[in-house]
Amino acid sequence: MTTSSIQPASGRAAEDADEVLVLDRVGVEFRVEDDRISAVTDVSLRIVQGEIFGLVGESGCGKSTLALAIMGLLPSTATVTGRIAFQGRDLIGLGEKEFRALRGDRMSMVFQDPLTSLDPTYGIGDQVAETIRAHRDVGRPAARERALELLREVGISAAEQRYDEPPHRFSGGMRQRVVVATALANEPTLLIADEPTTALDVTIQAQIIELIRALRLRHRTTVVLITHDLGVIAQVCDRVGVMYAGQLVEIAPVAQIFAAPRHPYTQALIAALPTSGQARGSLRVIEGQVPELSAPPAGCRFSPRCPVRREECDRVPPLAIAAPGHAIACWNDPATRAMAETTGMASEVTE
Amino acid sequence: MTAPSLAAARPRASLARRLVRRIGGWEALVGIVILAVLLTLAALAPLVAPHDPEAIDSARILARPDLGHPFGSDALGRDVLTRVLFAYRVSLSVALGSVALAFAVGAPIGLVAGFRGGWVDGLLMRPIDLLLALPALLLAVALIAIVGPGALVALVAIAVIYLPIIARVVRSAVLVVKAQPYVDGARARGASEPSIMLRHVLPNSLGPALVQATVLMGFAIQIEAALSFLGLGAQPPTASLGIMLNEGRDVLTLAPWVEIFPGLALAITVLGFNLVGDGLRRRLDPRGMAR
Repeated sequence: MTTSSIQPASGRAAEDADEVLVLDRVGVEFRVEDDRISAVTDVSLRIVQGEIFGLVGESGCGKSTLALAIMGLLPSTATVTGRIAFQGRDLIGLGEKEFRALRGDRMSMVFQDPLTSLDPTYGIGDQVAETIRAHRDVGRPAARERALELLREVGISAAEQRYDEPPHRFSGGMRQRVVVATALANEPTLLIADEPTTALDVTIQAQIIELIRALRLRHRTTVVLITHDLGVIAQVCDRVGVMYAGQLVEIAPVAQIFAAPRHPYTQALIAALPTSGQARGSLRVIEGQVPELSAPPAGCRFSPRCPVRREECDRVPPLAIAAPGHAIACWNDPATRAMAETTGMASEVTE
Repeated sequence: MTAPSLAAARPRASLARRLVRRIGGWEALVGIVILAVLLTLAALAPLVAPHDPEAIDSARILARPDLGHPFGSDALGRDVLTRVLFAYRVSLSVALGSVALAFAVGAPIGLVAGFRGGWVDGLLMRPIDLLLALPALLLAVALIAIVGPGALVALVAIAVIYLPIIARVVRSAVLVVKAQPYVDGARARGASEPSIMLRHVLPNSLGPALVQATVLMGFAIQIEAALSFLGLGAQPPTASLGIMLNEGRDVLTLAPWVEIFPGLALAITVLGFNLVGDGLRRRLDPRGMAR
């Protein structure tokens, strides 16, 4: 399994066939009046065919922005830098028409709120069929057949009878199943699920997660699962990327994230998870606050809250491979320091 | 809709009751009945009217209402009931036509302006704002002064008054709808911008404009009456509510029925449209639908 890398395009030839998504030093900046807000900086990662990659972080850390950047759905006030390659094809600067051909076909997305993700004026089946007809040259009856098949696959009972019913007749969980069906309509290579279970209650959450896992097995779909819920990550993901204030601080196989987190932020996150043996009222928190993204701290953005902060921390730590499949961006880690030395990045101060 | 389990636990609402709820309440039903009756009478005026609207009868000048002439006769001995029925034809066609015209022009402007935003919005909406800044009736009078009076001119004049209202209502609905997650969802599924605008934004933005149009229809009848009252709309001897009100004014103390019945007719029509408008508003509100 490949892991993250900050090396430019040259180093990727060997794994091309397997790599679905490659991000290389991706940054997203928003222009807000005269201010520039850097929502995502220097995110590099590789996601291979068939894996479920979890992207975790608190609200506003840039997870969703990153997802929208991949989908090409950011508003015109955003600038994306770096390189985003999907199946070897550069997405930044891709024409709107080419992008539209990919969206809903090769790559698709499930949004957070199933209650508002479906158009209230159409039957649920039509919304699945629409996605098929947007990309495939098929007639209405054929699209309907396929849509019915998909609705059955995601577990809508009596799909035939309920095909024309508007979304408001369905519960949140059922609507999210319909949304998943629309996302899978054309058997995409990549499915980005942005907090797909956040708006659902716990039992329905488990069902949707189970559904995504089953569909991955059946179709070898690559999934990027964005969430702030470490429990969800633990249930389905193969690998996890941890984001903080727009930076990717650690990438690791899911077992290692929980067993041996290396970045101080990840460690704090894991430590903050409540456990059943814990005394009441003793929830652990991370001191301090998420930085303002219009004026982020120089260097490592976690440094102002970091318990093991050191002098180097006002320079951006490079993401370096610390163990097989495990990458970390922290000056406390020997791997990051070694990486900085070899690439000469130690002298580079950003912003 | 109620879930089957709940419906079983509760006595099932009668068919009539459910129908009324579908329509948007009892008031709306009353409105629909009023409008249906009026529209039928207007459409069938030549068949149902007891007399000829322009037949002058010197023996019946300002005659009181009686069995043969339930609304009495006017200063020229013409049957008031017959003339009211024929006046409806003019009033309702002008009202329907003007609102339809305003909708046909205003809705696309509001849709494109709201959906595209930016300079397109500015380009389309500034002239609309200009229209809105002028006093409505004055605008109509000015237009008629240029082209000359007539029912068709009144129709266009009223449409010009309504166009900015419809455009603005549609635009503001579009601004709300285009920010809905399902619009992003359609985009994420690869739908093109024109198809998003027409298939997803337009149908979800029309509700408020339809309600507005129904209410405007009631006002259109009033404006048409006002214009023809001033001699700027349909011209005599054509029967029109405004003309009848003007004629009735002269004989108000002698023969109040000449004035009262066209006035009542006008009030009932406006009431009908308003009741239907209220019902529609409730019906088209998506949350109302889910009840």
